[in-house]
Amino acid sequence: MRPYRQIGSAILLLAGSAAAHAGTVTVYSALESDEIAVYLDAAKQALPDIDIHVLRLSSGDLAARLLAESAQPRNDAIWGMAVTDMLEPRIAALLTPVRGTHINRMPSAFRAADGRWFAPTGFLAALCVNREALAEHGLPMPRTWTDLASPRYRGQVAMPDPASSGTGYMLLSSLSDAGRDPKGMQVVLDIARNVGQVTLSGSAPCKLARIGEFPIGISFAFSAMQSIRQGYPVSMVIPEGARGYELEASGLMAKASNPGDARRFLDWTASPEAAVLYRGYKEIVAAPGSVPSAEQQREGLPADLVATLPARDFATAARERAALIARYKRLTR
Amino acid sequence: MTVVVAAAPRSRSRPIAATLLLAVPVAGLVLFFLHPLATVLWRAVTDADGTPTLANFARLLDDPGLPRAAWRSLAIGLATTATTVPLGLCLAMALHRSRLRGKLLIRGALLLPMLAPSLVLGLGLVCLLGRNGLVHRLTGLPTDIYGFWGLLLANTLYGLPQVTIIVSAALARTPARHYDAATSMGAGDGRQFLDVTLPRLRYALLAAAFLVFTETLTDFGSAVVVGGSYRVLAMEIYSEVVGQLDFAMGATLGVLLLAPALLSVGLARLAKRRQDSGDARPGQPLVPRRNAPRDLFLGVVSVIALLPLVAIVATVAYVSVVKLWPYDRTLTLANYTTGMPDGYGPVATSLGVALAAAVAGTPLVFALAAGLRRAPATLSRPVQFLASLPAAVPGMVLGLGYVLAFNHGALSGVFYGSAALVAACSLYHYHAQSFLTMQTGMRQAPEALEDAVVTSGGGTRHVLRDAILPFTVPAAVSTFFYLFMRSLVTLSGVIFLVTPTLGLASVTVMRLDENGFLAQAAAYAMCVVIAGALALGAMRLLLHAFKDRHHVA
Repeated sequence: MRPYRQIGSAILLLAGSAAAHAGTVTVYSALESDEIAVYLDAAKQALPDIDIHVLRLSSGDLAARLLAESAQPRNDAIWGMAVTDMLEPRIAALLTPVRGTHINRMPSAFRAADGRWFAPTGFLAALCVNREALAEHGLPMPRTWTDLASPRYRGQVAMPDPASSGTGYMLLSSLSDAGRDPKGMQVVLDIARNVGQVTLSGSAPCKLARIGEFPIGISFAFSAMQSIRQGYPVSMVIPEGARGYELEASGLMAKASNPGDARRFLDWTASPEAAVLYRGYKEIVAAPGSVPSAEQQREGLPADLVATLPARDFATAARERAALIARYKRLTR
Repeated sequence: MTVVVAAAPRSRSRPIAATLLLAVPVAGLVLFFLHPLATVLWRAVTDADGTPTLANFARLLDDPGLPRAAWRSLAIGLATTATTVPLGLCLAMALHRSRLRGKLLIRGALLLPMLAPSLVLGLGLVCLLGRNGLVHRLTGLPTDIYGFWGLLLANTLYGLPQVTIIVSAALARTPARHYDAATSMGAGDGRQFLDVTLPRLRYALLAAAFLVFTETLTDFGSAVVVGGSYRVLAMEIYSEVVGQLDFAMGATLGVLLLAPALLSVGLARLAKRRQDSGDARPGQPLVPRRNAPRDLFLGVVSVIALLPLVAIVATVAYVSVVKLWPYDRTLTLANYTTGMPDGYGPVATSLGVALAAAVAGTPLVFALAAGLRRAPATLSRPVQFLASLPAAVPGMVLGLGYVLAFNHGALSGVFYGSAALVAACSLYHYHAQSFLTMQTGMRQAPEALEDAVVTSGGGTRHVLRDAILPFTVPAAVSTFFYLFMRSLVTLSGVIFLVTPTLGLASVTVMRLDENGFLAQAAAYAMCVVIAGALALGAMRLLLHAFKDRHHVA
């Protein structure tokens, strides 16, 4: 009997280690592992009494996981998830309004009126252009979305699938004005015709571009700036015309097992100290007065970026998502 | 289990033992495979409120991209099967029916794709044969792998070890007397291959073809990396589930993919026919005759088949030690030491999970295959189908099923977030492959010997020990290592099961790559390969020590 008891207690121990206890906050996040490490170091200094556990998943995987666990959520908070994914009605229903000193001070464009989400950071659609590969194919540098629709780029573009990537959907939704602008829709379809490799995630096209597989990757500014910093022959192009962007939202789970500490942690993520750290990684930082660093501006980020962002109705974008993607599929396949 | 059998009274021991032999592994299949699978597939036939409906299937017909994706999946599945099975047959022949030297090299090369995290195959293909890959940079050739051919190459390389393992299981332990008899009747090597070898291989080849075909349909790992605009069904499932959070549609596509698993019912019928009902002793082991043209042919095919495998893993190893692939190829070891927020702890966790899956899985699969030998057709056919079904289930669908089934409810307290659950998910994801390998090996055991043991008063335990085990040892060993390696690196299902405190090596590799650290991802993957290879080496040594002491193999 004894070995069975030992096996049993070992399993219980394994299971027990996952369960939350006082002072522990479990956070699901779609931020990148390296930035999470930096933010967590600072958060642990500011909140020494909280033990913060973070599970990092890509935004789509995270949404699927949340939905699958929705009957009995295992996390206290969501930290940095594409807001259009978070506002998917079934996921938004898992959240409860969260307020705090820092959260309440955030600009109104970066938080929900009902307090269900707030977004200290965001990302901006951008092209990663590999200058070497572009020259090898004798192609000109694209400057606008319409440039990219030209048949001369046939097969030379890597693009995220709008059906599986937030970045892809952001592109589709913002260029076509949520499907209402037929001219914009045509541009998206023409770009889709030039695509040599469709990717699942928004950063993958940039990664293909940086190693020279495709001269142009449709991605977001963070990836482009990361490529430049790592030393690849990559230029960041923020196409003229409609600016596509997405916010990285956070929220509190309604069934959080430790809501008090989770709220304190979330409020910290909206603090000015955290905003300083975000600058090292993010193109869009919501904190008032935060401007792109000198390096970011050198890499091509406009100094007045946040002021030039068009207002986006994220709730509508999230609601109309399925229909718009279905239409896009019909038009491209 | 055998302990229970021994303790039971003599007269009842046979039925009880035989029943347990089947009941325990079937219970495992039901709890850890059928139950989660049914939980997720139930959504295909119900609406949001749980009322039964066929609306999801109607929506399938409505999707314009789907028929094309289905045709493409079918085309790539057939093409992959048609290339992988003959190549795998040649490799297995080279291992067991040739006098080639360097068989250890062949075995080693075949291990590479199994030890490497699934990302490595795609990463290596792109870095080697991509538009700006190594081959292009060295030769200037306009290489382009994106599309059908890249997909065919990736799937073939993925399936090759599997086919070789199964065919090898049928070729090992063949008594020399068959070939001696053929020789004495004047049959040449070609004739012997057709008349003696091939008939013995029929089951193995069909099982291998079944696995490669169904797996190619469900695998989206390669499709996503090198598929280009050649979209296959597995991609559609991913985009429904993860992209659009439409579990119902994902489940409906999952049901569609189960259809090929029906082919395995045919295998069940074939499995019943023993290939060797002759005498009861293994006899002299076979030593292949000298035949230079045969060896030359097998050698050349082996090199052609294995060269890409080695080159791909070598490319990833190379990527892991250069500064900035492909622009600054100064050698450095910095990628192994810096920029790893997760540390190397997940490698240890993965090794533990893999060991658990292999240790639990091998006896379970052995018992199942043994139990099926004498089971009536009414029982054996459904069980065979169930045991082969996992091959037709995409890892993502199974992983999702695990969350839905074990996150809440009675079992969640025990299993949620545990390494045991990850091990179970890996085991049942690769159940079909393990089971069919074991079954192929077990068919080597002559029925006559089984009868002899029974006649001389032996119970189930004796039949297993004296008649079945000696013939099945090579297949059991392959199954063990197969499960170990696959569980070490599997990603698609377990991605749903990791928690903040339970990290896995394959997930870390994926994260590093996702976050844009190519070199670190390659470095981490190489560490997994090395750790896995060391563990394999250690287990091989143990096995040898055991073999010398017990003379089992």
